Amino acid sequence: MLETKNLSKKFGGLRALWDVNTKIEQGTIHGLIGPNGSGKSTFFNLITGIYQPDLGSHINFAGQDITTRSAHQIAELGVSRTFQLLRLFLDMTVLENVMVGYHCHSPYGILSPIFLGTKVRKAENIIREEMIELLEFLGLAEFADIPASELSGGQKKLLSLGRAIAMKPKLLLLDEPGAGLSPVNIDNLMDTILTLKERYKLTVIVVEHVLKLVMNTCERITVLDHGKKIAEGTPEEVKGNRSVVEAYLGKEMADEEIRRVFTG
Amino acid sequence: MIELLVRINNSIYNLSRVHRLLPWLIAYLVLLPLPKLLEFVLSDYYIDLANRACLFILLCVGLNIVKGFCGQVTVGHIGLYAIGAVSSALLAINYGLSFWVSAPLAVLITGFAGIIVGLPSVRLEGAYLALATLGLGESVRIMIAVTPALGSSTGIMLIPAPAIGDFVFDSFERYYYLVMTLAVLGIYLSFAILRSTTGRAFQAIREDPIAAAVVGINVTMYKLLAFVISALYAGLAGALFAHMPPGYLHHNNFTIIEMVTLLLMVVLGGIGNIWGGVIGAIVVTIIYDQTKDYYFYQPLIFGITMVLLVVFMPRGIGGLLGRMIVKKKFIKNHEDKVIDFA
Amino acid sequence: MFKINKICLGVVALSFMFVSTAIYAGDIRVGITMRMVSENGQKYGQMMMDEIDIINKSGGINGNNIVATLMNDECKSDKGVANANKLVSQKKVHLVIGSTCSSVTLPIVAVTAKAKVPQIIPHSTNAKITKLGSDWIFRVPVSGRFYAGVNAKYVGENIGMRIAYICAADAASQNDCQAMQGQMRSQHGAEPVYVAEVQEKEVDFRTHMQKIKTSNVDGIMIAALAETMARALIQSYEAGMDESVRRIGSSSASNAPVPKIAGDAAKNVFFAAAYAAADKRPIARLFNEMVRERYGIHAPDHDFSQAYDLIRIVEIALNNAKLKLTNSSLADDRVAIRNAIAGIRNYQGLASGPISFCRDSSPVCRDGNRTAVLIGYTKGGEQFETEVLARVTMPMDFGL
Ligand SMILES: Nc1ncnc2c1ncn2[C@@H]1O[C@H](COP(=O)(O)OP(=O)(O)OP(=O)(O)O)[C@@H](O)[C@H]1O
Ligand SMILES: [Mg+2]
Repeated sequence: MLETKNLSKKFGGLRALWDVNTKIEQGTIHGLIGPNGSGKSTFFNLITGIYQPDLGSHINFAGQDITTRSAHQIAELGVSRTFQLLRLFLDMTVLENVMVGYHCHSPYGILSPIFLGTKVRKAENIIREEMIELLEFLGLAEFADIPASELSGGQKKLLSLGRAIAMKPKLLLLDEPGAGLSPVNIDNLMDTILTLKERYKLTVIVVEHVLKLVMNTCERITVLDHGKKIAEGTPEEVKGNRSVVEAYLGKEMADEEIRRVFTG
Repeated sequence: MIELLVRINNSIYNLSRVHRLLPWLIAYLVLLPLPKLLEFVLSDYYIDLANRACLFILLCVGLNIVKGFCGQVTVGHIGLYAIGAVSSALLAINYGLSFWVSAPLAVLITGFAGIIVGLPSVRLEGAYLALATLGLGESVRIMIAVTPALGSSTGIMLIPAPAIGDFVFDSFERYYYLVMTLAVLGIYLSFAILRSTTGRAFQAIREDPIAAAVVGINVTMYKLLAFVISALYAGLAGALFAHMPPGYLHHNNFTIIEMVTLLLMVVLGGIGNIWGGVIGAIVVTIIYDQTKDYYFYQPLIFGITMVLLVVFMPRGIGGLLGRMIVKKKFIKNHEDKVIDFA
Repeated sequence: MFKINKICLGVVALSFMFVSTAIYAGDIRVGITMRMVSENGQKYGQMMMDEIDIINKSGGINGNNIVATLMNDECKSDKGVANANKLVSQKKVHLVIGSTCSSVTLPIVAVTAKAKVPQIIPHSTNAKITKLGSDWIFRVPVSGRFYAGVNAKYVGENIGMRIAYICAADAASQNDCQAMQGQMRSQHGAEPVYVAEVQEKEVDFRTHMQKIKTSNVDGIMIAALAETMARALIQSYEAGMDESVRRIGSSSASNAPVPKIAGDAAKNVFFAAAYAAADKRPIARLFNEMVRERYGIHAPDHDFSQAYDLIRIVEIALNNAKLKLTNSSLADDRVAIRNAIAGIRNYQGLASGPISFCRDSSPVCRDGNRTAVLIGYTKGGEQFETEVLARVTMPMDFGL
C-alpha cells in the first residue's frame, strides 16, 4: 500500500528524518512511535505532500510514485490524515467541516454553481444527507449547524476524524488521536477507529504516545528516534528491542522497570 | 429586536420551503417600486443614490468572495472596477457595441485582470499581499490617468446608455431597474457559490490552507478562482457605473479613498458575511451622503470607525445579527427537546 | 405579511429623516458644486457665498432673496454628478454653478441639460464642455481652445518663428508641448527648430542647451513640471544664452516654485491666465484689496476673479430675467434665467476682456471669455513679482 525508500527531510541543519525505509501493508493498522521530536509528524507531512522530501527519497502509494506530488493531488489518490493540533475549520459549521472533507468527490464542476444548475442542488442534498449520516455515527449530528469552534475538545477530535473519513480515503494517517483524552475516551476512540477501518476498508497508520493503545491495536509498529528508524515489527518484537527501550528512557534505566512501563 | 429578526429569518425559511426562489422573488418585487416611493417621498436624487448603493453592493459582494470567503487580503479591488468601467465604455464608444455585448466582454476582461491581481496571493500573505494588490490597483488608475486613449485627464464622455429595443435605461429610475436586478442576482449567485463545494473550498482556505490542501483542495487554483470571481463582480459593477447616466468616467473615481470606503463597507457589514456586505454598502452610502457637509473629517471618521470596528466588532453588523439568530435558534431547538422530555 | 408592512413603514419613516430643507417659493435657489479640498478652494467658495449675501442684504434681486447651497465635489466626477442631481432634483435650484474641475463639469453638463437647468461655470477650461451642445451651459473662464493658441499667437507676433522645445514626459507637459508646436505650425507655418524629449524629472539639460545655443533660436519653450522647468531655466543661462533668447513656459510656469527655485532665471518667463493680480485697472486693485482683507490672500489668482465675475454676471442676469418664483413656475424661471444669461453682452469685469454670451448652443456663443492675459515674471526668488505682458484676444471660432 505505502512504501518509502530513503525518506529524508532536513530543516536547515536538523535532520528531522533520515533514510527511513518502511512498508505498510494494505488493510493493516500500523503504529508509528518514538520520543518527542523523533520525526513522526514530519513523516506524515512528507507522505501527505505538505513538505517536499529531500532528493533521493521515494514514496510509493498504491503503485504510484507520489514523491513530488502536491498535497491536494495526494489527497485525491485517497490519502487522508488528522493533525496533532486538529486544524479544524473553526469558523465553519460542524457539517461544513465534514462537507469540505468530501471535496474531491463532489460530482459537479467548480464553476457549475455559477450556472444555477439543479444538478448542483440535488448533488448538495445528497452530500448533505451522506455527511449527516457520518455525523450521526460520530454522535455529532445535533451540533451540525453550530460553528466547529464551539465544540468541546473531545468532540473536536471526533470531528477531525470525521473530516478525514469524509474524504473516503484508502489510507488514513492519525497523528496522536488520543492526546488529551481520558483513558475511557481513548478506548472509545479506538473502538470508533477500528469500526471505521472495517466499515470503509481502510489502511491506518497511527502515531500515538499512549503505548498501551498502540501495542494492543496495531499489527505492526515502526519506531523512530532522532529521525531514524530504529526498529520495526510486531508489538512483541518491538517490546523486546533494547534500542527502542533505550531511545525512550535512556541507557541507565533498569531493564525490568522498562518492561513494566511497556506492558503497562 | 432579535425576536423580530429571528421571526423574519424563520418566515423566510418557511417561504423557501414553498419554493427555494420564493423569498428572492418577494424581495425583488418589494424592491421594484422603490424608485416610485423615493421619488414620491423624497426626490429623483435618492434613486441615483440607490443606484450607486447597488453598484457598491456588487463590489462588496464580490470583494467578500475573495476577502471574506477565501481570506485573501486585497486592496486592489477598485482597480478591477476601473478596468471593467473603462473597457465597457471604450468597447461601446470605439466599436459601437451595445451594452449587452460590451458589458459581458468587459466583465471577461476584468476576470483576466483578476488572475493578475490574484497571482501574488500564491506566494504572499496578509500585509504583503495587501501591498502587492494595492500597487496593482493603483497602477491601473495611473495608467488611465496618463493614457489619452483611456480618458486621461478629460475622462471618457458620452458613454451610451443601455437599451432594450426602444426602452433606453437613461434615467435614474430606469437604470435602477437594471442595477437593482443585477445586484439581486449578484447576491443570489454569491449565496449559490458560498453554499457549494467551491464556496466551502474558499472558506477552508481562509481557515487553514494546509488543512485545506490535505483534504484535496487545490489551494492555488481556488485562490485564483476567488480572485477571478470577485473580479467578475467588480467588472460588472464597473460596466454598470460607466453606462450609468450621465455616462461619464474619470480616473479620480477609482482612488484609494474609494477603496477605503469599500473596505469600510465590508468591515462594517462583517467580513465574510454576504448580507453584512449588503447592509454595509447601503449604510455607508447613506452615511456618506448625509455627512457630505463634513467632508474634511470624512476620511478621518471613516478611518477611526474602521479601527474601532476591527477592535470591538470584528464580525461587523452581519456577523453579530447572524450569530444572534443562530444562537437563538440553537437554544430554542434544545428547549424544545427539553419540553419533549417532560 | 404584517412584518413586511412593518418594514415598509420603517423605510418610509427613515426616508422622512432625509428631508432636511423645506423649499419656499419666492426665493431664487442657486446651487454651487465645486472642489473645496484646498484652502484656496474653500476661500473662493466662501467668497461666492459672501457676495450672494451682500446682494441679499442690499435688497436681493427685485426683492427676492438668493438662497445658495454650496457643495463640495472633491473634484470627483461621481460626487459632482451626485451633487448636481441633488441640487437639481431635490433642492430644485434655478441655477447650477460649477464645477471647478473639468472632469466634474463635463458629466454635470448632461445632468443640467436633461433637467433643463441653466449651468454656469467658474473655472473649468476643457474645450469639450461647450462642444457637447447643451443649451443650458455658459462658461465664464477662458476656454482651453483659446488658451491653446494664446502663447503661439503672442510668440509668433512678438518673439519669432525659430523656437526650440524641451518637452518633459508627464502628461500635462506633453500636451502643452504638442499644442504649442501645432499652433506655431497652423498659425504661422513655423516648424520647430529643435525638439528634446526628456524625463519627467530630468536634471541635466546641458547638452540640449548647447545644441540649442548653436542653432540660433528666437525662443525656447520649456514644457515641464515646476521644479524640472526651474532647473532647465537655470541651466539655459549657464549654457550662455542671454535674455535675447526668450524663455517660454508651459502651463506649470504659473506655479510659485518656478520663480522661487529658478530665481533670476525666471525673469521674463510668461504664462497665460484669465486674470493678473498685477493688473493696474482700478477695479482690479479694489478687488485685490477686498480679497486680501476678507480672506487674507496676498495676490488672488484667476480662480478668485472668475468666481467673482461669475457672481456679477449671475446678478445681472437674474435682475434681467422676469422671474415668477412660484411653486409651479420653476421650469419657466429656469428658461428665463438661461435666456437672461444668454443675453449678456460685453460684460466688463475683472476678466482681461469683455465677456459675451449669445442664444445659440454652440461654443461660439457659450465660451464667453476669449481674452487671456500673458503674465511675465519681472523678478524671481521668494519675493517674486509679475507684470502684465500682453492681452491676447482670440477669434470667436478659434480652435473649433
Ligand atoms: N517546519 C519545521 N521547521 C523546522 N524544524 C522542524 C519543522 N517541523 C519539524 N521540525 C523539527 O523536526 C523534528 C521532528 O519533528 P516532528 O514534529 O516530526 O516530531 P514528532 O515525532 O511528531 O514529535 P511529537 O511527538 O512532539 O509530535 C523536531 O526537532 C522539530 O523541531
Ligand atoms: Mg508530532
